[in-house]
Amino acid sequence: MKVVYCGGCNPHIDRETVAADLPQDDPDVPRGATVHVSGCLRACASDHQLVAEGDGRAGAGAEGASAGPERPPVIVVAGELVDGVPTPSSELAAAVTRKLKE
Amino acid sequence: MALKTPEEFVQSLADLHLQIYLFGEKVDDYVNHPLIRPSINCMAMTYELAAMPEYEDLMLATSHLTGEKINRFTHIHQSAEDLAKKVKMQRLLGQKTGSCFQRCVGMDAVNALYSVTWETDQARGTDYHERFKKYLRYLQEEDLVADGAMTDPKGDRSLPPHQQPDPDVYVHIVEKRDDGIVVRGAKAHQTGACNSHEIIVMPTIAMREGDEDFAVSFSCPANAEGVSYIYGRQSCDTRKLEETDLDVGNMRFGGQEALMVFDDVFVPWEHVYMCGEIEFSGALVERFAGFHRQSYGGCKVGVGDVLIGAAALAAEYNGVARASHIKDKIIEMTHLNETLFSCGLACSYEGVKMPAGNWQIDMLLANVCKQNITRFPYEIARLAEDIAGGLMVTMPSAQDLADEKIGPIVEKFLVGTCDTPVIDRMRVLRLIENLTLGAGAVGYRTESLHGAGSPQAQRIMIARQSNLNHKKELAKAIAEVGKPWEKNRVKKPTAVAG
Repeated sequence: MKVVYCGGCNPHIDRETVAADLPQDDPDVPRGATVHVSGCLRACASDHQLVAEGDGRAGAGAEGASAGPERPPVIVVAGELVDGVPTPSSELAAAVTRKLKE
Repeated sequence: MALKTPEEFVQSLADLHLQIYLFGEKVDDYVNHPLIRPSINCMAMTYELAAMPEYEDLMLATSHLTGEKINRFTHIHQSAEDLAKKVKMQRLLGQKTGSCFQRCVGMDAVNALYSVTWETDQARGTDYHERFKKYLRYLQEEDLVADGAMTDPKGDRSLPPHQQPDPDVYVHIVEKRDDGIVVRGAKAHQTGACNSHEIIVMPTIAMREGDEDFAVSFSCPANAEGVSYIYGRQSCDTRKLEETDLDVGNMRFGGQEALMVFDDVFVPWEHVYMCGEIEFSGALVERFAGFHRQSYGGCKVGVGDVLIGAAALAAEYNGVARASHIKDKIIEMTHLNETLFSCGLACSYEGVKMPAGNWQIDMLLANVCKQNITRFPYEIARLAEDIAGGLMVTMPSAQDLADEKIGPIVEKFLVGTCDTPVIDRMRVLRLIENLTLGAGAVGYRTESLHGAGSPQAQRIMIARQSNLNHKKELAKAIAEVGKPWEKNRVKKPTAVAG
């Protein structure tokens, strides 16, 4: 699994802790998954998108967000949001893990 | 593409036969009323510039729904660049009108509702977003003006809506039917409401349990049965009735506010976008306010450009343009004005793509933008008054200047630099008066203070997003807070010891 960090100029969350708590070598997590971890709502790690384009999960995001089952999932953490859904900082890694396994 | 011409816009407004009251009387021919027409001219400018190739880049956008060219005021922002172009468009219109041009509220309302309806549907399984998109398409295809109506009169501010002695001080649902809802109440300070084809109502505060009937968002035609408007006064407004352009300062353009009343208005379900979902009311308020706080980083800057230009002209006509303190004041005004513009652009370029697919401004920077707007125009206005001199408030009237006997005396003593006609000097001073004290000051000063939320509203948002704990950690790290202190290693500086 790939973790992409923002530059870290305005962290509202502990980005390193979120990344460290993500599952490693979990067979239920699709290969090639990516997690963008931004410290704040500006979502710099995912090019200012709260839901990543090209996310492989069906139904991810709204119209215009391309989805395809053949592509690995891409999850966006931006401050206390996971794919745009408000999530307490203590639950960010767990929420991402759930989404990765969906 | 179905863009309206300015003439078509004015005619379409007249065709609505709105229920407008002014000075205790119903105004039938409102598009030709001298107090109202300047505000209509402002709105018409949003159509006029859209038809000019040299302004097309800012004034037009491509609809994400139809792929057609539309007026940017009906556009859902599709990128950070779109957000920035919105601010630049608003500056342009402020420059062209020297006034509030009123169409921003509808644009900010549709952009806020776009994401909130989507998120409500995700959580509640409703179909608000599809309803809203259908309505949005109608606005775009018909090139309509929508009034974004948020501010309720609010009554006793210490009480929630459902505990108000008169619940009508907040717009609320009084009846739910199979085919729609019936609403009652009022919206105050409605900018451009009488110049709108459509009204988009949103709740004014985050609603709590018990306030479900007040958590309502809908659209209706501006001439829907039961909707009426009581026109708001502006300082010096009756100068527009004097049939002389000179003393008004800005004869062609002006702002407009009204008290909009809903007297049991029926709204079909297809135009209802929130109906009791209290948990989403706060997001709608914050997003509308956020977009509107960004807006002021454009529109007020454009009006500021006009005021700075007027101050520089006044200095020229007074023969003091080369004085170093005058130059410095113009620099200060420009610095303040461009700082406001920087804030408008910054919150745009730091915007994000929402899960709904639209782009939203950075909330912290938008609130910082508006907080500066509550201050800087006042200082710019003070400097303009300083440069203009006391004559801007002591000048004789246009009638005196035109009088056979008095006119030559006025002309003799109001002369400035020899090559400047007295009438032009007076025109510029009246424009400064208009923007700092007169009808234009409603938009440039008090609206800057209270529009899109009073200063404290921004400070609450700034506090919420300031990330203070991070700042404290930064300071602790630099100051080495918590590190054991080895007292015995302290030595006196050599120079002191010697």
